[in-house]
This record gives sequence, C-alpha cells and structure tokens, in this order.
Amino acid sequence: MNTFMLLLPETILLVFAFALLALDLIWKPRSNTLAIIMLTGALVTLAATIFVWMQANNGVIQLAVISTDGAGAVPMLAMDRFAMFFKVYAALTVALVGLLATDYVREKIRYPGEFYALMLFAGLALMLVASSTNLVMIFLAFEFLSITSYLLTGFMRNDAFSIEAALKYFLYGAVASAVMLLGFSLIYGATGSLDLHGIATGIRSSDPSIIHVLAIPAIVLIIVGLGFKIALVPFHQWSPEAYQGAPTPVTAFLSVGPKASGFALMVRVLTVAFPAFARTANTDWVLILTGIAIITMTFGNVVAIWQKNIKRLFAYSSIAQAGYMLIGVIAIAPQFVGGVPPIEGWDQGLNGLLLFLFGYLFTNLGSFAIILAVENKTGSSSVEQFNGLVKRAPYLSIAFVIFLLSLIGIPPTAGFIGKLLVFGAAIKQQMYVLAAIGLFNSVISVYYYLGIARKMFFSPAEDTTPIPVSRSLNFVVTISMVLVLAIAIGAQPFLDWVSGSTQILATVF
Amino acid sequence: MEQIINWLANILSNASWWGLPVEPAASVIVWAVYGFILALVVAPMAMIVLTWLERKIIARIQDRIGPNRAGPFGIMQAMADAIKMLTKEDITPLGADRIPFNIGPGLAAVASILIFAVLPVAPGLIGTDLSIGIFYVVAVGAFSILGILMSGWSSNNKYALLGAFRAVSQLVSYEVPMVIALITVAVVAGSMSTLTITENQTLASGGWYIFAMPLTFLIFFLASVAEVGRSPFDLLEADSEIVAGFHVEYSGLKFGLFMISEYVHALAVAALSATLFLGGWNGPGVAQAVAASPFWGGVLGFVYYLLKMGIFIFIMMWFRGTLPRFRIDQLLDFGWKLLTPLSLVNLLVMAFIVRLFQPGNVSMGAEIPAGPLASWGGIGQTITMLVASVLLVFLTTLVVRAFARRSRARGFRAIAAIEN
Amino acid sequence: MEIYLFFLFGGIAVVGALAMVFNKNAVHSALFLLLTLVMIAGLYVLLNAQFIAVAQIMVYAGAIVVLILFVVMLLGAELGESIPRWLTLRNSVMVLLALVFLTVSGTAVYDWLYSTQPITGTVTDEVIARQGSVQLVGESLFTQFLLPFELASILLLVGIIGVVVLGGWRLVQHRQRGE
Repeated sequence: MNTFMLLLPETILLVFAFALLALDLIWKPRSNTLAIIMLTGALVTLAATIFVWMQANNGVIQLAVISTDGAGAVPMLAMDRFAMFFKVYAALTVALVGLLATDYVREKIRYPGEFYALMLFAGLALMLVASSTNLVMIFLAFEFLSITSYLLTGFMRNDAFSIEAALKYFLYGAVASAVMLLGFSLIYGATGSLDLHGIATGIRSSDPSIIHVLAIPAIVLIIVGLGFKIALVPFHQWSPEAYQGAPTPVTAFLSVGPKASGFALMVRVLTVAFPAFARTANTDWVLILTGIAIITMTFGNVVAIWQKNIKRLFAYSSIAQAGYMLIGVIAIAPQFVGGVPPIEGWDQGLNGLLLFLFGYLFTNLGSFAIILAVENKTGSSSVEQFNGLVKRAPYLSIAFVIFLLSLIGIPPTAGFIGKLLVFGAAIKQQMYVLAAIGLFNSVISVYYYLGIARKMFFSPAEDTTPIPVSRSLNFVVTISMVLVLAIAIGAQPFLDWVSGSTQILATVF
Repeated sequence: MEQIINWLANILSNASWWGLPVEPAASVIVWAVYGFILALVVAPMAMIVLTWLERKIIARIQDRIGPNRAGPFGIMQAMADAIKMLTKEDITPLGADRIPFNIGPGLAAVASILIFAVLPVAPGLIGTDLSIGIFYVVAVGAFSILGILMSGWSSNNKYALLGAFRAVSQLVSYEVPMVIALITVAVVAGSMSTLTITENQTLASGGWYIFAMPLTFLIFFLASVAEVGRSPFDLLEADSEIVAGFHVEYSGLKFGLFMISEYVHALAVAALSATLFLGGWNGPGVAQAVAASPFWGGVLGFVYYLLKMGIFIFIMMWFRGTLPRFRIDQLLDFGWKLLTPLSLVNLLVMAFIVRLFQPGNVSMGAEIPAGPLASWGGIGQTITMLVASVLLVFLTTLVVRAFARRSRARGFRAIAAIEN
Repeated sequence: MEIYLFFLFGGIAVVGALAMVFNKNAVHSALFLLLTLVMIAGLYVLLNAQFIAVAQIMVYAGAIVVLILFVVMLLGAELGESIPRWLTLRNSVMVLLALVFLTVSGTAVYDWLYSTQPITGTVTDEVIARQGSVQLVGESLFTQFLLPFELASILLLVGIIGVVVLGGWRLVQHRQRGE
C-alpha cells in the first residue's frame, strides 16, 4: 500500500471537514443537512479505516518522509494494528457523538457548521494521537486534540458555565502541555532522539545509573500530561467543571475520545520508549502508575456518591473508570523488563484495557444519549430529573439500567468483560493489593450507580408526561445497548480483534 | 581621499596601537565602537536634516516659504530646535513607572537604528550581510512596538495609553501585509539577504523589482508608512484627538529620542524600499566604476542610493502634506480587508510565476527541473510579473467597486428607511 | 568568548525568569518574560541558529508579549492580588518540589555531561555554513517534518475557526438586532 492509501481515513476526515466549512459558508444549509454530511464523513472514514486495517499486514509500517539527500528519515506515524484499533474507535466515537448531537445542535448551537467540522477535526486528532511515534508529532497531535476539545467545550458562547468550563479546561491543559513538553525536552536532551524507538535505543546504550536520573523525571512529566488528558486523579480538577459546563454531546465526546487516545499514547510511549524503566530496582513507572491508579479509583468513586448533577456524576464516574483501565497498563508492565521478550499471556492486561475502552465507548455514549433525551425535555441535568423515569420513558430506563450495570461491571455486559480481564491480569502479575482495591471500589460504585436506577424505578416523578425520544437518540441507545450486550455474550471475536491489535507491541524489542 | 580613509581605518583598528592584545576579538570591538559612533552621529543628524526638509517641503506644498531666518535656507533652524530640545528640562511624572518610562524611548530609537545594520548602502559597504536579512528587519521592528507600548503605559496618562493601544493595533495589523510583501520579494530573489536581493536587480537578471512587482511595492510601502506611524496613518499621535499619543508626557532628550526613532524609521523605510525595489546602489556605470576603483565606485553607488532614498522620503512628506488622517476603523479595514488578502494573493501569483521561469538546478542533492518558460530569461519574467500585477490591480478594483456599491446601496436604503 | 556570552545570556535569562515569577506587577512580569525570551534568542545565535533566533524574537517580542501586555493593560490587571503571606504550607511544599526536581535534573544533566560524549547531530557549523540556516530549516520542514508541518497548518486553521466562533458572537447579535 502506498502512503496515500495508508492515510486514507485521515484524508477523508479532512476533506469532509473542509467540505462542511465551505458548504456552511456558501449555502448556509440547515443544521440537519450538515449533520448528515458529518455522519457520512464519519461513516466513510470508518469504512476506510477498516479497509486499511484489512489491507495492512501486522508488521510495523512507519510512515516517514525521507529527505532529498536520503539521510535522516524520521518516522512520524506508525500504521500498525494498535493504531488501527484506535482509529476504528475514533471513527465510531465521532459517528455516534455526531448522531446524538443532532437534536441538541439544532436547538441550541449557533454555528452548526463549525461545530460539526470541529467534531471531525477532533476525530482526526484522535486518529493522529493514536499513531504518532515521534515526539514532535505526538505533541502536535496532542495539542490539536486539546485545542479542539477546548473549543467544543466553550462552544455555547452565551452560556457562562460553558465559557467557565472551557477556560478552566484550557488553563489546566496549557500547564499540562507545557509540563509534558518539558518532559519531552529532557528525554530528547538525554538520548538525542525524537523517535520513540530511537529513545529506547538511546537509553539502552547509555550509562544506566545516569540515564535513570534523567529519564524518571521525564517519565513523570510525561505522565502528568497524559494524566491530564485521561483525568487521572492529581490532574483531574478540570474534568467535573468541563463535563458539567460543556454542551452535553461534547461531554459525551470528552468522556470517551480524549480518554482513549490518552491511554493509546500512554501505552505506546511507555512500552516503546521506556521499557527499560518498567521494573527497576528504584523508581519505575509501574510504581508511579500504581499509586495513581489507586488514588484515582478511590477518589472518583467516593466523590461521585455526593454528586447531584448527572453530568458531574459521570465526570467522577469516568475518573474512577480511568483508574480501573490504568490497572490494564500496569499489568502488562512487568513483562517489559529490559530486553527480555515477553512471555505467553503478557498482553492480557492490555487486551483488557482495549476491550474495556471499547465497551466503555458504547456504555457511556448510550448513557449520554439518555441524559440528553431527559435534558432536552426537562432542560436540566440534575439527578432529580430521573425520578420515575420508568413511567415517562420505559425503554430508556431499561437501557439505562443495562448501561449502569456495565459501568459497575456486572455480567452480562461489556464492563464485566473489561474488568474481568484487567483485574485478572493484575492477579496474574501477583498484584493482589491492586486488584483487591479495584474490586472494593467496584463495590462502592454500586451505591451511586444503582442509586440512579432506584430513582428511575421507585421514586415518584413530579411530572409524568412522557419524554419524547428522537429517532437519532433512539438509534444511539439501541446500537449501544446491543453492542454492550454483544461484547459480553459473543466476546470471542472482540477478544481476537484486540489481541491482534496489541501483538505489535511485543515486537518493540 | 581613499588613502586617507584607509590609513585612518588602519590606525583605528590596529589593536597594538591602542595597547590592546592583538587578536580578532579586539578588532571586533574596535569595529563595534565605529558602529556606535556612526549610529550616534548619523541618527540625530538624520533627524535634524529630515525635520528641516519636511518643514520646507510641506511649506512649499502649502504655498509658504518655511523656515528661512537662521542660516542659509533656514537650515540652522533645525539645529537650533535640536539644541533647544536637548537643553529643556527632563520631566518624569510622579505617577509614572520610572524604569519602563526611561527604557521606552531608548528601545524605540534603537529599534529603528538597528534596521540599518543589514542595509547595503554602497557596493562593499554593509553593516553585516545576514542570510536572514529582511527577516531580521521585521524582528527588530518589533521592538519599536514594545518601546511605544512601554512608554505609553508607564506614563500613567490616559492619552498616552490610548495612543499606545492605537499604536499596537495599527502596527500589529500592518506588520502582516508588510511581512507578506517582504516574503514575496524573498521568493522572487531566492534569498532573504539584502545584499543578494540588491545584486539580483541588475538589468541582466530582469531589472529593478519595482517594474516586476509594482503591486508588491505598493503594499510594502503603504504598510511600512503605517508601521512608521506617519501621516496618513498617524493615529497613534493624532494631536487633535489624543494630544500627542504615547509620548505626551515626555520632554527634553527623551522626547528627542522618539523624534529620532520616527525619522530614522522613516529613513529606514525609504532605504529598505530603495534596496528591495529600486535596485539599491545599482545604476548606470556603477559596475564599471567599481571595477576601476572600488572606492569611487562605492561613492557612485552611494550617491545613487541616496537619490533613490530621497525619492521615497519625498513621497512620504508629500503624503503628509496632502492626505487627511484615517479613522481607526478605516485604518484597520484597509489593513485587514484589503492589504492582507491582496498581499496573500499576490504572493501566490508571484511564486507561481517564479516557478515558471526558474532555471533548473541541483539544490541540496535534489535535482530541480527547469520551469517551462525558463528560456525567456529575466526580462521575460519581469514582463510577465508586470502583466500579472496589473491584472491583479484591475481585479482588485473590480472587487472593491462591487463592495463599495453594495455598501453605498445599503447606506441609501438606511437613509430612505429613516426618511420614511 | 562564546562561553562567557553563554553565561551572560543564560544568567540574564534565569534572572529574568525569576523576576517574572516574583514580580507583583503583571506588566513588569510580562516585560521580564520578554527579557528572558530575547536572551534565549541570544543563546540560539550562539548555537549558530540565526533563523530560529530571529523567529523567536519576531514571534515573542512582536506578537505574544505585545498581546499579553495589551490584554493586561486593557483589563487594568497590572496590579493583581497581593500575596498576603509567603510562607504558607502550600507555597513551601511547592518550593520544595521545585527544588527536588531542579536538583534531580540538574545532577542528571551534570553527570551526563561529564560521563558521555555529547551527542552531535547532523546540523554542524560546517553544514550551516554550506547551506545556510534558513535553507536547512526550510528543507527539514518540507521533508523530514512535512507531516507535522501540515498538521500544524490544520491546527492553526482550527484555531482561527475557534477565534471566529468564540469571538464573533457579539457581532452576530448586533447584526440580528440591527436588521
């Protein structure tokens, strides 16, 4: 396959984004027309991604532009199956978020063309983040994602909450980016390479006692930047504000898109560039991440109990879920002790992470579709609005229960499979404490997740008029529900897919 | 004369003569001292001469005689004014922020003087030939904005602050078309070095750039005049509106520094225009004269250079004598809605034409094929560019006319609505 | 000569950075920021990267710091909240963390400098002299770093769209009311 074909999904997204902007400028079409164009773009991208994924063999394809004198080709993008997984994920995210945004945009957004175009740009950013292998590219793609996210968060320019959320998100994000960039510069200074593989080589060929002192601060700084994007606990402060203030479809996007690409980047950077520091005698990133995972899970779950606003509640819920996912990253790590090829079953944690993310995508987007339906009707996102929902919208209530069960991790839902794999991997690596804390946290989360379900079924509603559900929202809810159940019941093909996607990381040595 | 100068240079730069260690660093220092002295002398002199010239020219435009009492043609008048300015009391307002207040004027003056470092004023006479010459000019110009902003803010005076705000919005806006025009020149010349640009404007390689790119010249010159903040773009110190703008609180020498900054900047713009568009020191007979005697060739080139600068200085004074001041919204509209898009289109068109005429060569290990019209040579390129520029101007006029008609029609409708 | 200049520029840059952080007047802070950035441009010149140096001055002195100053002055925010006490628990923890980080990375850089051969890149003085620094930057932008370059242009476009969306709302309201 030539370079252009490999970049086909990204190119299609770009073309559609530009087309949207141009059409909006020239003909000022109605919001729904724009939505249809955007959805077409997302679906064509999805098809193209799957096409490229089928064509690409499982080798590492490094996309690089070679300079004219033939020297110093710098690989920029890796077109491997790991990246392809996240590209499929990105295309699905954009398509589903676009679908659930249509009503909201038509009612409340002043610039629909720009909104949909920015959604497509955000999808492009997600794709690029997942496949970057060069520090320059990583930083640019990461900033691209951040800037589109800030813009989407503050898109309701007349709403003070939206602007406040965007400003907080932006200020935290700018600091996090700067910190991450400092980490990049340290590691570039230490190894003289911008390429992730080159960094690993540079580290291996340096004096171990010295490179350790330089690389660990760099790793910490990079984790700060990534932790911000994923909303891990010391760096999570932006997320409740941003989730609450952002337009609700954007909240849905923020809860799945940047999180997944943050994890993609974390796995790629840590395993490709820093395998030497996975398990060392002193400090290593496994230790750092373990600490972060424990605080993240506990904090997210405990604080979520008191939340009165459903969007805020989902912010803390997503923090807690990120903590569980992080266990997946930690559990692969011990296999990456310098230079030893991974043993059988090394990838269980990583597979768990990918499957967890994939299930979480549908669970969360389905939940947000329901939140949107309620919000469109009642105009509020307070938890009280869910009182007696079963009388007002029985189908939504049942679907919501399934999503909540998936968030808790009760079979037969996707959340269960994800958690099973992740916690199983932790136990396999003899991280019993970590697994136990994870399980204990799942028990805490039952309280507030089922609290919503209790409100829906047993609390009396003040207003019993039925909640109208538009076709697009209904479609999102249905397809999400089907997939949440399908991932759990027919898990094998999904498992094969994710383990096919992670194999590439075994060859980094 | 040539011998005298050489001898003087020898003595001054002979390190051992000064008791300094003989090493290149020492001669660098000595040359730096030369530069210092040159800048210190030439900059105030330029201001003095230019103020006198300006008063004379504007007087003629307004059908007056102008200063005529002190000295022949009143030339000593400017001298007297300068001395008066230097001896005036230096006042720092009580509420001023002292340090920025004192740095501001110096920064503005230095920024203008620094531009001359890269201007080749005569064959073989250039401060330093940087490979990034015109880029350096833009970067150095940025400091004058800062000087204005610092002094406007630290004066603690609302007119000063308003002037500073106007200055910033104006200078930042007009920097964009100016830089794009400079890029156009760099693309056509294939270099950012001012020396290379000058040398590329010989008759053989297509002549002066003003013939090839009249539109680029126009954009550059207008934007530059706005950068200097001279009439008709003198909103930053519009005395009828905001007293004197950012330098309202300054007196004495520091006020003089602002004057120096403005006039030296105007001079620099004229010099830059001459370098970039009128072929710098190129002119009939320079090449032969340089071949015969480098010194006298240099003098001839310098004379041509001064003449070309004089044209632009005169045009700027002509502007001042005849044109009324812009309003701030007109100013910004003109910059952002006309000059900026036009300069971008112009850049694209010129780059395309350059590619058509580019001779094939090998650069950095890659073979670049010749453009399809490369055989037409430099003159062909100049003519094509001229035609393209004229076409562009024509199209722009059409577009502007359409817009103007529409807005006028809207105005009529609004009036009709009020009357009904 | 070069080493003295390095310490001169570097020293002023560090002092400027400290002054920026500790200054209570926001305008002075911005000016110190500019001082630091210009000194860093001086370091670039010492590294023979004139193009990057001039670009740094143009971008920061010509645009970013001017914009910062403009906003600070327009909002009249130059005298921000006064800091009541320096020695709070939070501040001391922050200072301690910063010092730990500085020590760690400082010793690392020091050790590394004196233990291994410095890494030499492909861009040496000789290459710069042969090709010119502008051409080198241009060439690598359009070859090795073409993809990031294009990505940066899309990023800028998105930024422009964002400015229009976030900044243009008042205009739209005016128009709607007026017509």
